[in-house]
Amino acid sequence: MTPSRSIAAINDQLARQINSDARHHPGSPYAGKIVGIANGQVVVVADTWKEVADRLRQIEPDPARCCCIEASADYDRVDEIWSWA
Amino acid sequence: MTPAVQFPLLNDRPTIQVSLPRPSGGPDLFRTLIADTGAGTQRSVFQIVLQLSDCLQCGGIPITQVQLTGAYTGSFPLFLVRVRIPRINFDEPVPVVGVMQIPRGFDGIAAFRFLNRFHYGNFADPACVGLDLLPTV
Repeated sequence: MTPSRSIAAINDQLARQINSDARHHPGSPYAGKIVGIANGQVVVVADTWKEVADRLRQIEPDPARCCCIEASADYDRVDEIWSWA
Repeated sequence: MTPAVQFPLLNDRPTIQVSLPRPSGGPDLFRTLIADTGAGTQRSVFQIVLQLSDCLQCGGIPITQVQLTGAYTGSFPLFLVRVRIPRINFDEPVPVVGVMQIPRGFDGIAAFRFLNRFHYGNFADPACVGLDLLPTV
């Protein structure tokens, strides 16, 4: 596993944990927030994607070492894209 | 009423054009998206569908995986990608699904949740799609 792949896996695991906590515990400090993660650590909690993207870019310019998540969103839902004829 | 920006139909289908800044510099990527209200819903976690290579080239920040059915089936990576529509001063990071294959003749899909951020429609001109920013509250 390359270092950046390893960081990506750690970021993803942390993001999933935050998502699960926020969805099951509305009192979570992350509930309703957008969370930015860099190098395996939460580095920004904000109300908009723009705030999170701007902050992540300042902290870690390599997007492969970053991750972000809408903490209370349902990423398990299945969304349909109608087929084109 | 004339909208702030209008895009011509392409292959007889509604389109919008966006530009994607590249963090490495150089000119933006200009992409023509099919405007598809049948792609996702207002509660979808994605707003646009692009080629995976565009997501990576434009410095997309990984979000997580998204589950799709219909035209796409399975799990696909979701990225935060900066999207611009210069003529209406729209410039924001947007959740974008990265896929390997896009509808022929287009560069991506503007899904319902993205379109619904705007006042959109033909504005009485059946040859075009018009967009305006929604009034801020």
